Amino acid sequence: MIEARNVHVSLGGRPILHGIDFAAKAGEITAIVGPNGSGKSTFLKTLSGELDSMGEINFDGKDLRSMKPWQAASLRAVLPQATSLSFPFTVREIVRIGLMGGRSGVKGRDLETLPDRALATVDLSGFAGRHYQELSGGEQQRVQLARVLCQVWEPVLDGQPRFLFLDEPVSSLDIKHQLVIMDVAHDYARRGGGVIAVLHDLNLTAMYADRIMMMHKGRVAASGAPAELLTDELIEDVFDCRLRVGVAPSGRTPFVLPQSIRI
Amino acid sequence: MSVTQEAGSLAPSGARAAGDRSHIARLTIFGLACLLVLVSLFSLTSGASDASVVDLARASLSGELEISARDRVIIYDIRLPRVALGILIGAALAVSGAVMQGLFRNPLADPGLVGVSAGAGLGAISIIVLGGTALGPVVALFGIYALPFAAFLGGLATTLLLYKVATRRGQTSVATMLLAGIALGAMAGAFSGVLVYLADDNQLRDLTFWGLGSLAGATWAKILAAGPIIALALVASPFLARGLNALALGEGAAHHLGVPIQRLKNIAIVAVAAATGASVAVSGGIGFVGIVVPHLLRLSIGPDHRYLLPASALLGSSLLLLADAVSRTIVAPAELPIGIVTAAVGAPFFLWILLRRRGVLDL
Repeated sequence: MIEARNVHVSLGGRPILHGIDFAAKAGEITAIVGPNGSGKSTFLKTLSGELDSMGEINFDGKDLRSMKPWQAASLRAVLPQATSLSFPFTVREIVRIGLMGGRSGVKGRDLETLPDRALATVDLSGFAGRHYQELSGGEQQRVQLARVLCQVWEPVLDGQPRFLFLDEPVSSLDIKHQLVIMDVAHDYARRGGGVIAVLHDLNLTAMYADRIMMMHKGRVAASGAPAELLTDELIEDVFDCRLRVGVAPSGRTPFVLPQSIRI
Repeated sequence: MSVTQEAGSLAPSGARAAGDRSHIARLTIFGLACLLVLVSLFSLTSGASDASVVDLARASLSGELEISARDRVIIYDIRLPRVALGILIGAALAVSGAVMQGLFRNPLADPGLVGVSAGAGLGAISIIVLGGTALGPVVALFGIYALPFAAFLGGLATTLLLYKVATRRGQTSVATMLLAGIALGAMAGAFSGVLVYLADDNQLRDLTFWGLGSLAGATWAKILAAGPIIALALVASPFLARGLNALALGEGAAHHLGVPIQRLKNIAIVAVAAATGASVAVSGGIGFVGIVVPHLLRLSIGPDHRYLLPASALLGSSLLLLADAVSRTIVAPAELPIGIVTAAVGAPFFLWILLRRRGVLDL
């Protein structure tokens, strides 16, 4: 359980987040959605301890700010939006960096093959020998996810659920790999871990998220389950455009159909 | 680098897993260690005199006293300190280059290029010129360590300033770093110029000799002064390796991986300043070792700092001894300052790196 209460963040003297209340449970995917500049990534960076903030942030009741970097690193792994490298690492070398803390939860011979399994999970089997810098943006993003997965491979370690923080994990991916990555997140949550993902695609959010926090101008506009949150009125208000929310043929998940920019 | 799509299958039975260069890296390190032994022996045996290490060893082992006192002096007091100093300085230059490149996440960062050596030089010149007057108490307090310590402080101040100027929110701009390096180097050069202007004739001779960069005049006293500082930096560097690997992914990613960023940076900066300062103090400005060596190694064993740092130390030592051999023989019986040799080879190499990396330089 990750909880944030009344979190305020300022960057360069400018207030970005104004009192965010947030909670994410293990076993669930919690999506953070909102228009550009609404503070989604800033909030995720705050949760991961990268930015200084005011207010409370607790991991299972323990204060985030009192944790050593390695303690936090064994509780959560973070996928950044994009990672550029200036040294010629191979894909395997990148993925292995995820193992540096020794808290993957995998031991012995299985640890040897863990990078290969992580790469297979993100549909990059056979890429281990490639140079990272030669890959496309979407492939690089998936390599980074494989590295992040290695860091906290077992969703629950010593009875402690662990979290994946994903900052726009599918933004540079084709539609198949969007599903591949969201399935990885879903599987992680199903096995007892937690996932907090910043997402732009409201339809993917509707399909996969257990809970949604919708942000607007540095505040929480609404939070709840997809079915109650994804309504014409609320989304039109937050995203400032005209759209229709329907129900997918499966009859369970809502879908969002954009129509026009509001006049 | 050849690429095999099939090689990454789940259970790499027997064969090395694709993309894993650790075995090549270990072999390379072993090979470089052997190379260093050979080059050291070569350096010990070659020179203007025909004094032979083999003869000396044979004489020592068999208890004969036939070997001449002259040969003993040449080998123990001239060649051996020179080889030892070459090994120390070569390792210091190459490792400080590799650590600095890791710290700045940038293959073009090198203490010589970005003004750190100039800053260390200013520290050293201050002691040479003002050691008898204004800085007398410092010399009295630190003794033989005054010179390397002052150079260390000069290098530290420059590195800190450079880092502050060139890095914003964990991102280092290549252009800002190089330009700031030029400015800092020029500033240190200007202050050094003032000191040179104040120097008397004896000090001027010291400065000229020292400034060109040379291993000549290596003595056990110099090794004693610079050795411990360099050794400390070299010993600290392996502890930085994993952190620097994580840092290659960005400051944020390294933090998420559990690396104590601020401590890593502090140790790296002090290690770079110590190694650069101590080597500048005893052998002047020897350029390009810190950029050429790590770059060559990254091409073969990859950028993993766990292997890159020790391999850099070994290759840096060997290359500097070879450069020293060239500097001693090319205009024999006179000597060319070694800094000229490393610059003549290193500068074109640096241009080659620039040509290869033109496209990705603006990261």
